[in-house]
Amino acid sequence: MTAPLETTALGKRHRSRWALRDCTLTAGEAEIVGVAGPNGAGKSTLLGLAVGLLAPTEGAVRVAGRDPRRDAGALQEVGYVAQDAPLYRPFSVGEMLEFGRATNRRWDGELALELLGGLAPRTPVVDLTPGERSQLALALALAKRPSLLLLDEPFARLDPLAGRHFLQVLMDGAAETGSTVLLATRVVADIERVCDRIVLLGEGRVRLDGPVEQLLATHRLLTGARRPLGRIRGVDEIVRERSSGRQLTLLVRTNGLPIDASWSVDEIGLEDLLLAYMAPEQLQAPPPPEPSRLRWHG
Amino acid sequence: MAWVTWRQHRPQLLGLAGLLVALALAALGTDLPIRAAYHRHALASCLPPATRSGCELIVSHFRSEFAPLRSAVRYLIVLPVLAGLFVGAPLLAREYEHGTFRLAWTQGVSRRRWLLAKTLLLGLLVVAAGLAFAGLAAWWRAPFDSVDGRIVPAAFDLEGVVVAGYAFFALCVGILAGVVFRRTIPAMTAAAAAFLAVRLGVEKGLRPHYLAPLHRTAGGLAPQSPTREWVLGDHLVDALGRQIGAAREDLAVAHAQHAGIDPQEYLVSLGWRRLITYQPDGRFWTFQAIELGIFVVLGLLAVAVAVALVRRSPA
Repeated sequence: MTAPLETTALGKRHRSRWALRDCTLTAGEAEIVGVAGPNGAGKSTLLGLAVGLLAPTEGAVRVAGRDPRRDAGALQEVGYVAQDAPLYRPFSVGEMLEFGRATNRRWDGELALELLGGLAPRTPVVDLTPGERSQLALALALAKRPSLLLLDEPFARLDPLAGRHFLQVLMDGAAETGSTVLLATRVVADIERVCDRIVLLGEGRVRLDGPVEQLLATHRLLTGARRPLGRIRGVDEIVRERSSGRQLTLLVRTNGLPIDASWSVDEIGLEDLLLAYMAPEQLQAPPPPEPSRLRWHG
Repeated sequence: MAWVTWRQHRPQLLGLAGLLVALALAALGTDLPIRAAYHRHALASCLPPATRSGCELIVSHFRSEFAPLRSAVRYLIVLPVLAGLFVGAPLLAREYEHGTFRLAWTQGVSRRRWLLAKTLLLGLLVVAAGLAFAGLAAWWRAPFDSVDGRIVPAAFDLEGVVVAGYAFFALCVGILAGVVFRRTIPAMTAAAAAFLAVRLGVEKGLRPHYLAPLHRTAGGLAPQSPTREWVLGDHLVDALGRQIGAAREDLAVAHAQHAGIDPQEYLVSLGWRRLITYQPDGRFWTFQAIELGIFVVLGLLAVAVAVALVRRSPA
C-alpha cells in the first residue's frame, strides 16, 4: 500500500530563495498531521507541491504513489482547501457542489450535503459568513473522498467559535472518508487537540517531526543555576538554552533515564515547545513553582 | 465541463445572444427602405453585364442615399472581435484575479482538459455567433453587394466565414493574454492590440495576394461603375505598358493645357491607358476560405501556447 503522501528531498525555490528544502516526509493512512511554522516557513509551498499547483525544483512528491503534476488521477486523490478558501463568487452553494460533481470522477454528493449541515443550496456564495465559506470549501474537498486532504491556514479567517465548528466538521468528515489530513497553521493551539503528529517547518526546512505525545514525552524544561559541565544525566540533547540573570533554562530531549536531580524539571506544552524550536529566544522559563508544588533540590 | 463552462460564462453568453437579437431587429428595421429603393430604381437592370444608359447616375444615387447607414454598419466589424475578447480574456485572467485557479486546477480534471474543454465549447459558441452575424450582414447588405460585389473589404470583412474566424481568433488571443497578464483588463487590452495588428496585417499585407491579382486595361480614362471587383491599383501606363509616374503625367497635362488641347484626349492620343489591378468578385469564397484558415490556425496556435503556459504555471 502506497502512502497517501510521500516526499523525498523535496525542494522549491522561488527566484533565489528556497521556500522549502530537503523535505522528506511520509504521511500514513488516516493520520492527522499538523504542519506548523511561522509565516514564510514553507507550509503553503509544501501543500501547493502536494496538490500539483507548484512544480518541485528538486526532489519528488507522490500522492498515493502518483505525481500530482503529471497525473490528473493523483488530483482525484487530493482534497485541497487553499488559503482564504477560494470559491466562485457568482455561484450559489448548490452550484458550487455541482461544480465539484462536474469536475471530479468520484463525488459523494450526500457526504457534501451532510457536511454542509443546514446550509441552503440556494444561498449565494457572496452571502456566506467566513465560517460557512470554509465549511463549503471543506465539503467540496471531502466530497471527492480523497486519500489526502490538505488545508492551508483554515482558521486564519475564522473567529474562535467558527473555528471550533470547522474543526468538528473536519473531524467528522475525515473520520467518514478515512482521509489523511495535512493541516497547515501558524497557530498551534488551533490544532493541538486533533493532531496525531506535528511537522514543524522553519525557513523552508523540517525542524521537528513526530507524534505529539512522543514529542511531549521526550522534551523537558530544565532550570538550574549553573552551566552543565559535560553531559547531564538523562538528557540526550540540549535543544535550546537561555540564561536570564543567574537562572539558566534548558530545553532538552530526554532519553528516558531519570534526570540529574540538580535540575528542576518541568513539562513543556506543545505550543511552547514548537516556539522554542522555531525561535531560540522564545524559550520561556517555566512558571515560578506554586507553594504546594515546591521542590527542593541540592 | 459543459455545465461549468456555461455557468461561468453565462453573463457573456447571454449578452452575446441579446446582442444578436438586437442586431437582427435593427437589420429588419433598416432593411425595408433599402429594398424599396432598390426596386424603385430598378437597380437589377443596371447590374453588369446588362448595363443601360443612365445607370451610373442611378447607381451613384443609390450608393449615396444609404452611405451613412452603410458606413455605420461598417463599424459593426468590431462586434465579433469584442465578443471573442470578452469571452476569452476573463477565462483565465479572472481565475488568477480571484485566486480560484487554486480551486479549478485541484479538482479531478487535468488543467489541459479543463482549458481545452472550455476553449472548445466557447469556441463553438463564438463561431456560431460569428456565423449568425455574418449571415445577417450578408442578408442586409445584399442590395449593395449586387452593385459593388462582395470581394471589397467593406463586404468581405462582414460577410462569410471569416467573421467566425476573427471571433475565434479573438477568443484564443484573449485566453492566451489571460494567462500572460493574469488580470482581465490588461489581458483584454493586450489581446485587442494583438488582434488589431494581426487583422490589419493580414488584410493589407496578405489578402491582396492570396491569388495573383488580375489586370485589365480601361480604354477610357474616366472611372467606370459599377465594377464589382476589389481594385488594388489603378495606374496610367503608356503604349508600351510602362507605368507613368505622377511627374510625367503632370508634365503631359501641362503640355496639353499649354497647347490648348483637352488633356484627356491628348493622353489617349499618346496611347496611354489605365491599367487596373484587381481581384474579381468570383474569388470571394476562395479568399474567405484562405483567410478563415489563417485565423483558425493562428487561434489554435494561441491556444496551444496558452495550454503550455497553464500547465507550467504557477511554477
